Amino acid sequence: MSAPAPPQPTRATVTTIRADGSRQFLYPADVRGRFSRARRLVAGLFIALYLSLPWIRIGGYPAVFLDVAHRRFHLLGRVFAAQDLWLIFFLISGVGFGLFFVTAMLGRIWCGWACPQTVFLDHVYRRWERWLDGDGVQRRELAAAPWSAGKVGRRAAKHAGYLLISAVLTHLFLAYYVSLPVVWSLVRAAPGAHWSIFVFIALATGALYFNFAWFREQLCIVICPYGRLQSVLTDEHTLTIGYDTARGDCIDCLRCVRVCPTGIDIRQGLQMECIGCAACVDACDEVMDRLARPRGLVRYDSLAGLGGQPTRWIRPRVWLYAGLLAAGATAAALAFASVRPAVLSVSRMIGAPYYFDRDSVRNQILVRLINKRPDPVRFTLTVSGLPPGFVVGGNDRPLELAPLQEDVRLLVISEPRAHFASGAVLVIGADDDRGDRLARPISFLGPGTALP
Amino acid sequence: MTPPPPEPELRPHTYDGIQEYNGRLPNWWLWTLYAAILFAIGYWSWYQWLRLGLDGPARVTRQLDEIEAQKLAESAAAHLDDATLWALSRNPVVVAAGRRTFESNCVACHLPSLRGKSENPAAIGPDLTDQIWIHGGRPTQVLHTVTTGVPVKGMPTWGPILGPQRISEVVAYVMSHHHEGEPIVPAAP
Repeated sequence: MSAPAPPQPTRATVTTIRADGSRQFLYPADVRGRFSRARRLVAGLFIALYLSLPWIRIGGYPAVFLDVAHRRFHLLGRVFAAQDLWLIFFLISGVGFGLFFVTAMLGRIWCGWACPQTVFLDHVYRRWERWLDGDGVQRRELAAAPWSAGKVGRRAAKHAGYLLISAVLTHLFLAYYVSLPVVWSLVRAAPGAHWSIFVFIALATGALYFNFAWFREQLCIVICPYGRLQSVLTDEHTLTIGYDTARGDCIDCLRCVRVCPTGIDIRQGLQMECIGCAACVDACDEVMDRLARPRGLVRYDSLAGLGGQPTRWIRPRVWLYAGLLAAGATAAALAFASVRPAVLSVSRMIGAPYYFDRDSVRNQILVRLINKRPDPVRFTLTVSGLPPGFVVGGNDRPLELAPLQEDVRLLVISEPRAHFASGAVLVIGADDDRGDRLARPISFLGPGTALP
Repeated sequence: MTPPPPEPELRPHTYDGIQEYNGRLPNWWLWTLYAAILFAIGYWSWYQWLRLGLDGPARVTRQLDEIEAQKLAESAAAHLDDATLWALSRNPVVVAAGRRTFESNCVACHLPSLRGKSENPAAIGPDLTDQIWIHGGRPTQVLHTVTTGVPVKGMPTWGPILGPQRISEVVAYVMSHHHEGEPIVPAAP
């Protein structure tokens, strides 16, 4: 039995959407070659990284543990509290500018080599599909074949595998948020003991299953905004995958079309659907090797390079994006360095700004401390910048704060009235038992002080 | 090369020399639109037609009522009577909690011994262990003094800072140094 004719890609249409709007499924053929090997290696490293982060422990906590329940975020041994959420701005802008830079230089290298959608689709789900149902032609034949007991069995096995993989991935994904021991205890408990989590996991598993079993390249082509940005981020000197029209020795074997996971014909030029996976490069090289012709009819090159011009790597766009990236990275580094493990705020106590009688002038200062560390911390309050004669009451005992606890303490600071002079600034310090120090200034007020 | 399939039809309009193809949306995309329409009909029926769900203002009113109820429940602690406060002052758990709050916030003026000016004439706060009371010595009066403060003399308004529960605990701690029925000597203000 022969497979039905595969689709004919054109530049004007999306291959996977037929003229009547229905879905054209793709059955990309296997490909071997240097880029496929390298891509598989990179994908293996990424999958190992994604799956091992919850298992690696740094400083007593998983390397990445986004503990939403306690609003505490562990990243590679550092702990962030909900108060530090503003750092996400710098993280996202840094990643964004990094993507600008990489895209201007190397095109959609992220999509083809590192994006979780590609990594898990090409190297997990499609591997399982390939192992069960064979190469592209066999899969297309099976899809076109009438329903039989054998086909039902094969399909049931395939989708059961997809569901199993999705469930495993979802549970490991959940471990990023609740940690592995909690995942394990949730798995062993009856669903009725925690319905909301059970339903969430079921829905997330369903979403992953739908995405990787059916939706696939539609995410890259229709949903993901990054592919659309390519046309403004890249230019004729950006590294892309292209077809050397000048060579003119294409034998029209369509091998590059058969292996394409988004269903385009790379010979028609750079297109929005191209995720830069280099499957067509390997496919063409293999054919050229067999024909004893030089490799590189389809190759990684810039549009300028494909047109016979030299590729200019350094150009204004690259400077601009590199400058933005450097600025973003610097701002992010400064922001992350400024995060302190506690919050100290100092304010004047409700009531009069100061009290005085014949002998003394008194200020009452409310100190508020929040412990952002994951364990209890003991703070010692100090008041410095005092001229002689000051008396401080209220700080003779350290302040013990449980994780995320917040407490206030009243400091009563008085000075003999005869010594009082305007303009004294006190520094309220909080030293914790880990050697960290926070400090805030506050002015000492009294009769005749001009309020700032 | 194999002959390419025919180009899709072009829409008639032209803007700045740009024309667009008359391609169809993917069907799955249209289904998300249909699903959203169905959801909107269901949503409208639920809230606007059958009125089974609470509408916005009603929901806000309900939430405000819940906050109000919670506040009332909390302030029940602030409306404690003398007998209850005396009972709290004999409860070691409450007294220990009150002691922690006292040591964080009150010792600056009243000293850890609670004896204030009696122990050290330079201290700011009066003695809380003797039977002389400036602002009333019944537990509810002490509670009132702590909550509203005596701003002219520097006793802060603790109500908004500590909240009713911690205030009742700290009053219980102070009253644990006294006995029900002991004499109360009003002091000259």
